[in-house]
Amino acid sequence: MSKEMSLEDLSSIKGATHSKAVEELFNAIKNAPLPAVNNDFNNNAVALEDLRPDEVHNSSELEKKLIKQNFPKEKNGYLVVSKVIEN
Amino acid sequence: MASEIIKIHEKLVNKEISCTQLVQEKLDALAKNQYNSVNFLLSDLALEKAKQVDAKIAEGEKIGLLEGIPFGVKDVFLLQGQHASASSNFLKNYISPYTATAIQKLIDAGAIPLVKENADSFGHGSTSENTIFGAVKNAHNEELVGGGSSGGSAVNVAKGYTVFSIGGDTGGSIRQPAGFNKVYGLKPTYGRVSRYGLMAYTSSTDCVGPIASSIEDIELVMNVISGKDYHDQTTYASEALDSSKALDAKNITVGYYSDFIENKGLDANIKKDFLSVIEKLKAKGVNVKPLPFKNADTLVSTYYALAMAETASNLARLDGSMYGERANADSLKESYALTRSEGFTEESKRRIVGGNQVLSQGHADEIYLKARALRAQIMDHFNKDFKEVSVILSPVSPANPPKIGNSLKDPLAMYLSDIYTIGFSLGELPTLTAPVGTSTGIQITTAKKQDELTLKFAKFLIAAL
Repeated sequence: MSKEMSLEDLSSIKGATHSKAVEELFNAIKNAPLPAVNNDFNNNAVALEDLRPDEVHNSSELEKKLIKQNFPKEKNGYLVVSKVIEN
Repeated sequence: MASEIIKIHEKLVNKEISCTQLVQEKLDALAKNQYNSVNFLLSDLALEKAKQVDAKIAEGEKIGLLEGIPFGVKDVFLLQGQHASASSNFLKNYISPYTATAIQKLIDAGAIPLVKENADSFGHGSTSENTIFGAVKNAHNEELVGGGSSGGSAVNVAKGYTVFSIGGDTGGSIRQPAGFNKVYGLKPTYGRVSRYGLMAYTSSTDCVGPIASSIEDIELVMNVISGKDYHDQTTYASEALDSSKALDAKNITVGYYSDFIENKGLDANIKKDFLSVIEKLKAKGVNVKPLPFKNADTLVSTYYALAMAETASNLARLDGSMYGERANADSLKESYALTRSEGFTEESKRRIVGGNQVLSQGHADEIYLKARALRAQIMDHFNKDFKEVSVILSPVSPANPPKIGNSLKDPLAMYLSDIYTIGFSLGELPTLTAPVGTSTGIQITTAKKQDELTLKFAKFLIAAL
């Protein structure tokens, strides 16, 4: 079995395939020399002492109501999902 | 142009107009407009808030500068209880469960949201044609595009339908439509304004900023929406902007990228006008220095490789299981694929597929990781350039706005048209489009966290031209 997944599977988009325009963009990167810089720039990494606390916030009743209102399919107040156990 | 916010504030305080009348007039104009700039009107919410402002004025209470000022919101921000469609089929019926930090801060200051504005779907585009609500028409010529992706926001400000609008800028989405519609648009330093509640496109360059008809209004809005936010750990604490103190020409060194100006794709008139601006600055005693842009050949590719990778990851959450439109199928996998195939536009699919391609095994090293290294090099070059100059000027776009219908047929040309805006996004630098100098304006860029200098220089430039 091939280790590579198809673009269709990777993207979950039917008929997904390479685009000529995008390929042209990527070729410019492939053909460029690798710069001699550290690519791990991480400018916006948060300092340990500045990390926000690991805590749970309860949503407001209105927010919960709106989240439920957005369910694509709902039954008795619960989200109905497609069958997840498959052969 | 003087501050529209201050002008309206004075009219409200002096009771020359009621807030309800003001809001109703703007809502009527938006409802009637033929520019496709509106996705959803927020009439009930806006009129209710206007009544509260009127009651305060009638009671003789003081109102803040932004109180009662009507503004627009690009339809990629969440506003609790209101639609947030990202101009997509996917989210056309989605209702925001909470409110974006920048929008909440404006509401807390009393400003009144009027409209969710048309844009390229999920920010994917440079013309505001990639939308289910119809291509946004340019405020000055309806046959031309409004620019993108915050096209509806720029058109609404240019036509006076909103006093200011809040846009999102990932690779030029505030600055380019501002230039195309001849208004001001600021992409602040990355992290100055919280991204919480903005639908994520390219999280490492996404910025929230204002579009307005004056520098004063840009500043007033920025001083409300900026600041550290618990919900966005990339934000930083910042001082209020104050561009009132004039700059001295002797203390400014202006740079411009000669590689940008010698680009064969640059319109001859934009080039001529840009160089004329440079000459006028020299005549005012400003020291001007041409600089090389060393990554010009790979700039667009670097941006799009990273943007596509990040948007593929960010939009993986849209599968129709928790929210949005769902296409039912016999299996979960088939349901995901059908939902995503029907929900995304062709341009969004192109970017998601490209992103998954660069992140996949066998391509990550030669494209994604190399693009990250190229970005680091670009940032390094900016740091060095800003040791030699205090301000960098550049055109906003290589050409004038194209005719509606031409750009989506040629995606590569559309990507290349972003060449002057995307570098400053990769550099996280504050950049303002000022509608002066060339037919699509001038970009003013300064070093990171020098947003105030950007606005001060804009005032200096306008006085000099």
